[in-house]
Amino acid sequence: MSISAPLRRDGDVDIPEIRFPGGLPGFAGRERFVLQQWGDEASPFSLLRSVDDEELSFVVVPPSLFFPDYEPDVCDEVVESVGIAEPDDAMVLVIVTVRQPVQDSTANLLGPLVINVHDLRGVQAVLEPDRWPTAQPLVA
Amino acid sequence: MIGEDVVITVLEVRGDQVRLGIKAPRSVAVHREEVYVELVRQNQEAASPAAESLDALGALRPPTADA
Repeated sequence: MSISAPLRRDGDVDIPEIRFPGGLPGFAGRERFVLQQWGDEASPFSLLRSVDDEELSFVVVPPSLFFPDYEPDVCDEVVESVGIAEPDDAMVLVIVTVRQPVQDSTANLLGPLVINVHDLRGVQAVLEPDRWPTAQPLVA
Repeated sequence: MIGEDVVITVLEVRGDQVRLGIKAPRSVAVHREEVYVELVRQNQEAASPAAESLDALGALRPPTADA
């Protein structure tokens, strides 16, 4: 799907929106996003596309695929802010900075997106900066 | 989250109540702000990748993917 294709609600189908109260750091006010699979069936990547600003999107990926040892220790305040009570309530995605060449692309492990799978409220958590980088290479 | 520079002292104990003093040096607040600024910067750098950049993304496969 081309990134320039406008978001469409096909007929009566509601595309579930993920809502980040306050928006993401650096992008205040743009709270509503939809998640679109990117690429073929084998692709682990999705596009988090802003509903409020059609120019705005992020490539995201479940971190466990590229970083199997990544277990973000998100503080209670953050998980409670989106109503997450236990791990099964949460989906974690990390934002990818796509670079050129693409093999240099990195993931932001310092600020994972934590989403409540039941009501689709999300927040960008901030982990320990001494431990987690904002630009961790996806491939060695 | 409590960092290494944060000092917690017991100011007073009265019965089963304890009054705590929490001292966080200004450097901690500044550090937090620096972290936030870096997060913002990285979000901005990651935002809205060009279509041409995205096309190449298909070449990236997780380490555990089947060959």
